[in-house]
Amino acid sequence: MTRDLNINVHHLTRVEGHGNIVVNMKEGVLEKAHLNIVEPPRFFEAMIKGRSFHETAIITSRICGICSLGHQMTSLKATEAALGLEISEQTALLRKLLVHGATMQSNLLHAYFLAAPDLLDAPSVFPLIATHKDVVLRALRMKRLANDIGDIVSGRAVHPITPVPGGFTRIPTRGELEAIKQKILDEGIPDCVATVETMKALAGAIPQFERETEYISLKDKEEYGLYNGDIYSSDAGTFPVEEYLSVTNEHVVAHSTSKHARHKRSSYMVGALARWNNNHDQMLPEAQAAAETLGLGAPCINPYMITIAQVVESYHCMLDSVKVIDELLSKGLKDEKPNQSPTRYGRGIASTEVPRGILFHDYTYDNKGNIVSGNCVIPTGQNLANIDDDMVKLVPEMIHKSQAEITHALEMLVRAYDPCISCSVHMLDVTFKED
Amino acid sequence: MTPLTIIGMGSRLCGDDAIGLAILDALQEEAGSDLELIEGGLDALAALESMAGRDQVILVDATRMGLDPGSVRVFMADQVNLQVREDHLSLHGIGLSEALEMGERLGLLPSNLKIIGIQPLSINVGTGLSEPVQAAIPEVLDLIRTERQLQHHMTDAYRGTGGISTA
Repeated sequence: MTRDLNINVHHLTRVEGHGNIVVNMKEGVLEKAHLNIVEPPRFFEAMIKGRSFHETAIITSRICGICSLGHQMTSLKATEAALGLEISEQTALLRKLLVHGATMQSNLLHAYFLAAPDLLDAPSVFPLIATHKDVVLRALRMKRLANDIGDIVSGRAVHPITPVPGGFTRIPTRGELEAIKQKILDEGIPDCVATVETMKALAGAIPQFERETEYISLKDKEEYGLYNGDIYSSDAGTFPVEEYLSVTNEHVVAHSTSKHARHKRSSYMVGALARWNNNHDQMLPEAQAAAETLGLGAPCINPYMITIAQVVESYHCMLDSVKVIDELLSKGLKDEKPNQSPTRYGRGIASTEVPRGILFHDYTYDNKGNIVSGNCVIPTGQNLANIDDDMVKLVPEMIHKSQAEITHALEMLVRAYDPCISCSVHMLDVTFKED
Repeated sequence: MTPLTIIGMGSRLCGDDAIGLAILDALQEEAGSDLELIEGGLDALAALESMAGRDQVILVDATRMGLDPGSVRVFMADQVNLQVREDHLSLHGIGLSEALEMGERLGLLPSNLKIIGIQPLSINVGTGLSEPVQAAIPEVLDLIRTERQLQHHMTDAYRGTGGISTA
């Protein structure tokens, strides 16, 4: 079909960043199909320069309101690697619990508040409040539970600073952990089961689109890797985290102020679907059964299924949180002080799986423990090229559809990746009503 | 007695957007059983959860009101037109306006919810408040302390132990 198509979606007009979908087709030939994001977190690498290792994670955790915990964990690990700070088994377990909470929270909010409206053909979550109030309340209840985990383990409600280099400044009590475990059993797991049912009812509306790509995530030898592991590529196998630059290969492209990444192909995918594809056999059996219920096979090459992978992963995290708490309780909580005596100074590289994908922090410290240089490679930057490649395949496949339908499919595609678009300022914007 | 909850919103890394958090810092010493401080930060939905189930809440946030920088206004959510964005590409698009709208429709907002808005000069990346916004801090603290006094008086009056009547 020879056709002209011009799609320009200028959705985000926030002060310091925006994301646009731009598609141009002339006489049936696709000239342009990409997502342009002005990516703000770059500045923070300059902001941490000269700061003490005590401050680094405090600054990075405040970069983003949604991914703060992931930045904090990755930052602490990089600092510990650079300064030779060993952490205890208890610290690692508590951090795993925090990562589970953060993963659930972000995944579920995305599935309920961004993806579900698309699947119900609603413009946003707001109309669903009237028609599906119980579902919206369930989503908020699950977010609350995830927050509770964070509050108990990291003291976040007061000051998000109990996780520090080398450990925690405060250890949760046995009673607190028992209470949160009970809440997970009574409320969290049943809500996960209900979530799977809700998503099953909606899954038929997920667009059928397939494009195989390279899937990159952490891979842990022992368990489904979120907090620890090596870099794993579905194309090329395992690499040490220290070699991340040879995997991410960030480069500048003309249409975006954010760098793109590529490894073995023109693009690769990170995030919940990449993790599922690479590590699905390490998920707990109940979560694997949920995947089957929801039609999520492995490997799955439909990017719209990221949402389903998030739901399945949340269920795994909910279940595994009970296991982590049991392990902490059975070993007995020790009132440990953080190990903050550096055994060396230099460069440290660390990686954690945050909800949107694999995150890298890379710091070099001088011999006073102050940062000389820092580098961060965030998941959204790594996914941008993959989103563009999806669009390039998707638009010609849909060319017989209306411009509105194509635009909607492209917006849904971008939303499926839940890109970390500018989140630095959430200012209220009001005009006063006139009496 | 019902505690008064102050929820400070904003980012410490974006100039005057940090005003909500600066107010929390200034109130640290006064916190107690009748004054609860919560750092809402950038997570508007978490702020909504914090509001749910509480009776007396004041939200403090940098607010674009078209006024001179440093101007302070107290309002209820239903006294203003919140610029709610229903179509967004990511979770980062869910701000305080959207969370308040959601809370309203779900019936989760406190019976007494006030918002103290401070007009920023600059919310560009950088630490530290601008001069006019820094200068507005005493006014905001006065408003909060007055509200707290009012709470005390209302409680006292209710118990019949004195205090001024609000009637």
